[in-house]
Amino acid sequence: MPKPEPKLITFEIDGREVQAPEGMMLVDAARLGDVEIPFFCYEPKLGAPVGACRMCLVEIEGMPKLQTSCSTPVKDGMVVSTTSERVKQAQNAVVEFLLVNHPLDCPVCDKGGECPLQDISYGWGAGRSRFIEPKRHFEKPVALSPLIAIDRERCILCYRCVRFSQEIAEDYQLVFLERGDHTFVGTHDGHPYVAPFSGNIVELCPVGALTSQAYRFRARPWDIEDAGSICTLCPSQCNVKYTTRDDTRVLRVLARDNQGVDDGWLCDKGRFGYQAIHAPERVTQPLVRDGGALRPVSWERALSEAARALARAGGRSAAIVGGQATNEEGFLVQHLMREVLGSPHVDSRPSGVLDPAQARALARPDLTAAVPDIEWAGAVLVLDTELVDEMPILDLRVRKGVRRNGVRLVVATSRPSSLDPNARAVVRFTPGAGEAFLAALGAALGDGRGLDELAGRAGASPEAVRAAADALRDAGPVVVVWGERLSGGERGRQAVARLLDLARTLELAGTEGAGLLEVPRGTNARGLREVGCLPNLAPGLADAAAAGKSAGEIAAAVPEEISALLLVHADPLSSHPDRGAWERALDRAGSVIAFADFLTPGLEEHATVVFPSESEAEKDGTMTHPDGRVQRVRQAIARPPEVLPNWQVLAELCERIGKPAGVVSGPAVFERIVASVPFYEGLTLAELGGKGVRWQERDGAGRVPESTLPEGGLEEPPPLEAADLRLGTAPSLWSGPVVEHSPILRFLLADQRVELSVEDGERLGVSTGDEVAVTVGGASVRGVARLRSDVPPGSVFLVEGTQSENATALTNGRPRAVKVARAAREVTPA
Amino acid sequence: MSYPWSEDVITVERGPEPGGVGGAYRVLGETLRGLKTVFKQALSKPVTIEYPEEKTPVYPRFRGRHKLHRFEDTGLEKCVGCSLCAAACPAGCIRVVAAENTPDHQVSAGERYAAVYEINLTRCIFCGYCEIACPFDAITMGVDYELADYTRSDLIFTKEMLLADPIDKTPLRAEGE
Ligand code: SF4
Ligand code: SF4
Ligand code: SF4
Ligand code: SF4
Ligand code: FES
Repeated sequence: MPKPEPKLITFEIDGREVQAPEGMMLVDAARLGDVEIPFFCYEPKLGAPVGACRMCLVEIEGMPKLQTSCSTPVKDGMVVSTTSERVKQAQNAVVEFLLVNHPLDCPVCDKGGECPLQDISYGWGAGRSRFIEPKRHFEKPVALSPLIAIDRERCILCYRCVRFSQEIAEDYQLVFLERGDHTFVGTHDGHPYVAPFSGNIVELCPVGALTSQAYRFRARPWDIEDAGSICTLCPSQCNVKYTTRDDTRVLRVLARDNQGVDDGWLCDKGRFGYQAIHAPERVTQPLVRDGGALRPVSWERALSEAARALARAGGRSAAIVGGQATNEEGFLVQHLMREVLGSPHVDSRPSGVLDPAQARALARPDLTAAVPDIEWAGAVLVLDTELVDEMPILDLRVRKGVRRNGVRLVVATSRPSSLDPNARAVVRFTPGAGEAFLAALGAALGDGRGLDELAGRAGASPEAVRAAADALRDAGPVVVVWGERLSGGERGRQAVARLLDLARTLELAGTEGAGLLEVPRGTNARGLREVGCLPNLAPGLADAAAAGKSAGEIAAAVPEEISALLLVHADPLSSHPDRGAWERALDRAGSVIAFADFLTPGLEEHATVVFPSESEAEKDGTMTHPDGRVQRVRQAIARPPEVLPNWQVLAELCERIGKPAGVVSGPAVFERIVASVPFYEGLTLAELGGKGVRWQERDGAGRVPESTLPEGGLEEPPPLEAADLRLGTAPSLWSGPVVEHSPILRFLLADQRVELSVEDGERLGVSTGDEVAVTVGGASVRGVARLRSDVPPGSVFLVEGTQSENATALTNGRPRAVKVARAAREVTPA
Repeated sequence: MSYPWSEDVITVERGPEPGGVGGAYRVLGETLRGLKTVFKQALSKPVTIEYPEEKTPVYPRFRGRHKLHRFEDTGLEKCVGCSLCAAACPAGCIRVVAAENTPDHQVSAGERYAAVYEINLTRCIFCGYCEIACPFDAITMGVDYELADYTRSDLIFTKEMLLADPIDKTPLRAEGE
């Protein structure tokens, strides 16, 4: 659906002539004329208004009764009054009515001081109540979930939380129960409200009925300060506000509405994960391995050991950069490697080599979709990614597009997706057969020749592929949201070629509002790519002077060709495929120097020097959103006394090795980046400001290296090898150190679970809840079996990135045929 | 402009010449008057207060060091940690960090209590706004005024200090005294 063009009309409110776009709700239009109308239930982010609270009543000339301004669109020539005697009386009455059963326990209420009910009672209420009867009582406070407390006496039944659950997150859990003044909010089945986006209802509630268990009673609005930044926990890079107290503690995280990024929502990991910043397990001092264990040492000692080890290794050193690194850190790491140590080996992609020409094609400004395009596209293809786990906020965007604008959704994944029920067409293909699926889709969009054969190679049903093609054809602008997994592994290059071919078929490049949007594995994957953290790409996506080894090749080259490893916010044992190879590599590397905030297993056992790194709230720098928006990460609280900024440590290492990087501050590194990346030309930190800037929308965008889309010449996808069960892996939102070390999130921590189809389960004699082992090539991972009716037979899915029993032990970039069997009872060593 | 010289006569007034009966009276009489005052004061009750052995009584509404209160029947703290006093304080010298009561750790009557309650008395201007702001009469201005100490940090009064009774009671002045 195309975005509607607003038309201006003129209306009169309280004697002023005001211009407003036609169809805007009166309550918003009034604000354009500096007239404030009080409201509780109106929230445009939640969709159509419901008119539940009656707080927004106004008098409109020609209408006999007062109208709710939240659900009355402005019309040309309307004459509105918000101050007449009738309106005043109505406002007084509504406030008095809302307070009839309200406990008025502001002093103990967490919302006190930032509560719309307080403000509106004060501003529009009569200041007295005639109600002397006993108020209705509920048990309070009750845990709605481990994250949220609910106080039902305070609820004013505005419907906001229920609408969020029903229409935004679409988890359909929250409902109103009972009726009349006994009405209360609860889940329909009485279970806790556990959902990936549940925390948003705390922010939505206009009274203190829903409060965050983590923030409960921590502070009052006058005790705290807000610090804007972005969340660095996943590629969504949602804009957030840290609530800080005494400049040293983060107490809560709130959304900072940015239409171009997050639409004003946050997931629970971003909202509650701040607790890890203050976890006692965090590394806050430099550590050096001494006598087999990591011990705290002085900075001098840690820096000199690291510098000595790197200088000794020289060209035999390699760097792995994790997705949480900022552009500045990434730039300095590749500078340290390439210019200072003379080693071309630096990689930030866990999933294998990305062809330089393809990287440039993917970066073409006309081929990149912006996040809001999803909402207004004709069709959206979600390809080989589970958004709710990998880029949660996009999941809400897709749902919004489908619900409000009738976007046609096509889901093509191996693992059943939570978006399936919203999709017009769903295609399941064999894990790792994305390339064959794209070939089949290409055939279906074309003349259909060879479709059955290609669909067979993808392990997909030809009808489903045809339905997908029908949904995409003539839909208008198409946005393809594709997961980095597609481009990984042995045949990643061919799969990307197919993807670019699809882009050409669908004419994404020439169409306004169409394009590709990558869902990478690392938060700042795009930024790191653009500042040169890929083995074959220099800053600005130019070809590197000497091509280096990719992550997998680095692991294989230790210790013969590589002796020192630099791990920047990365632990390949948990994030990279082929855990076995990485275990060997870390074990044999002469030195492993890490920047980390938690000692993950790989570092705990193998790191020789660990530099403490800043948490996301202590960092200053920039990151690039997968759609090209360069955003600022800003420091909100003071660093712990012994933690230095990472850029400073990297610059110091350059200096100690004898080639100073010549940067004296974080912003200076950014200037260097702008000077070396042609399409960032002219960007300044001031211009990035609070909302970031998409570089595609600036003049510098023309300076992306030229690239054309491939025409034909595509390789045939290989036929499916016969296999009983094929392994697919997927990351979970609830894995990783942040969830592990945030006490309030720990109950969500992902365990290894083995998802099987019901048919396969029956065949193997496995039922849900059994402990099973998944085995391939001598490696094995144990987990709890879960039979799902929507998993296609022949596939089995494991979780990546779990604390123990990580699925990476079984993956190696090639399709894997696995064996699943009930695990023998574990013999616990005495 | 030249100053207009005046030709007026200048007269000088002098006191009486010393000596003689008048002179003797003037010396002795004044001395006796002074002695009279001395003897009168020597016999009257002294007004000096022997501080610190003895304390100045204050009026009941004197605004001295604050006190936090407990309920007399249950012994629970009246303060619920709402921070309203901190919001009202013009000197910004109150710091409250609240926490949640649990059944086995019930500190105040409501859901919430003040885990940290501190008043920095070096900055307090004894305006009494905190007392007015408190919705539970949990904090009141006491009458104690002995607030000297050797270090500034000792003058940050914690919740325990504010809840405890003062070591010495400050005497009160009766109404109308
Ligand atoms: S709990 Fe809050 S958001 Fe939900 S209906 Fe009640 S007042 Fe509204
Ligand atoms: S969706 Fe991603 S960026 Fe947004 S709050 Fe959650 S983890 Fe952070
Ligand atoms: S008396 Fe006044 S200055 Fe002192 S703590 Fe109370 S409000 Fe603050
Ligand atoms: S003393 Fe009174 S105003 Fe201050 S926090 Fe306690 S209850 Fe609130
Ligand atoms: S805001 Fe209009 S009825 Fe609630």
